[in-house]
Amino acid sequence: MDRGLSDFTMKNKQNLGLVSLDIPLISNLDVWVNVALIKQYHENLPEDKAELLILQYLRRYNMEYIANKRNFILTNKERFCAMLLRAAMVIDSIIVIDRPFKIIPDVPDDRFIYDSLKIIDDSFKECHIFDYAWFKDRYRMINV
Amino acid sequence: MTDLIEKIGKTSVSATRSFRDTLSFASAIILKMFNKNSYSSATRMVLINQIYFTSVQILPLFIGISIIFGSLLIGIVFQIIKTLGLAEYLGRILMGLVVTELSPFVTVLLIALRSSSAINAEIAVMKVNKELDTLDKFNIDVIDYLFLPRVINGVISVVLLSFLFSILALTSGLLFSKLMFGMSLDTYSNVLLNSANFYDIVISLVKCCTFGFFITLIPIRFGLHASKDLTSIPISVLNGMIDVFIAIVIIEVLSLILIFI
Repeated sequence: MDRGLSDFTMKNKQNLGLVSLDIPLISNLDVWVNVALIKQYHENLPEDKAELLILQYLRRYNMEYIANKRNFILTNKERFCAMLLRAAMVIDSIIVIDRPFKIIPDVPDDRFIYDSLKIIDDSFKECHIFDYAWFKDRYRMINV
Repeated sequence: MTDLIEKIGKTSVSATRSFRDTLSFASAIILKMFNKNSYSSATRMVLINQIYFTSVQILPLFIGISIIFGSLLIGIVFQIIKTLGLAEYLGRILMGLVVTELSPFVTVLLIALRSSSAINAEIAVMKVNKELDTLDKFNIDVIDYLFLPRVINGVISVVLLSFLFSILALTSGLLFSKLMFGMSLDTYSNVLLNSANFYDIVISLVKCCTFGFFITLIPIRFGLHASKDLTSIPISVLNGMIDVFIAIVIIEVLSLILIFI
């Protein structure tokens, strides 16, 4: 799985939006800055416009309250949504979620993952999930 | 004896390698500094935050230290000048001592103690936490986003705070000149302006910029040396700060050589 993930990420490096515990949020930045960083760096979006944009996206998740929080005080679901949003900010984003149940171990199946992707499905081009074969049964809604 | 020579040799080779690596890293930063593509909304935001944390947050403490320390030293200098009968050299001594030597040195020590150690720890923690990998995976150049704003901030902060120290110290000198020599404000200002040497001011400016550059560059370089182990963070900070203080001494010595040749 690791090799498959590595090959895929190398192939799509330019548009890659990676969601993984190995690619954490920057700990000394607020959630909105973590997400806005992608737009601010690659598209030179001004700070105030970037903040408004990210707040709009967080509102979709009813998670506007996490905008000024830091990584260490987020819940697993909040962290997952923040990382997902960050990945979606890449231009023509190809989202790759690496072992989502490692990020959100408290969810029993893929419903939360599917719902989170559905809310922002206008922001990315495609999504691929890499996980261990023994978690196959947890994926009921997404094509495995 | 052979062991001693071997030890000296190893230390020299290690020091030379470290010096070469620092210069190589410095040239990479300087190249990026003059490339307009290095600057984005994200880097501007980091730069503003860094200037705030380094220069603005420290202002009350810095002003206090400048007034107390500057006044004390100016008072001592004035007393010595009066005792030795060197009143005609007052302006020259003040400009040479305060503007060229004291202001940059005190400023850089304060900023090195506060900001250099913080930068070193911050970069080391980011390395250990794989946050630098995060930036790489999102195609964000770490030099553009992380290092460049911190180095530019170092240069700006040392220059501005050193200038502030000079102003405050020279202003406290006005009080002492009135008490000890009965000098009026006009006389004191004229003495200082007549003693102001363009070459000294240029040397002071170049010294401040060099100080600011290296006291941020070196901690960044040592922060990157941290391994995946948490215990490597204090080691990286320790080594980084030792190198920062060695660099301060080297720059100070080189500037003194430049002034007196």
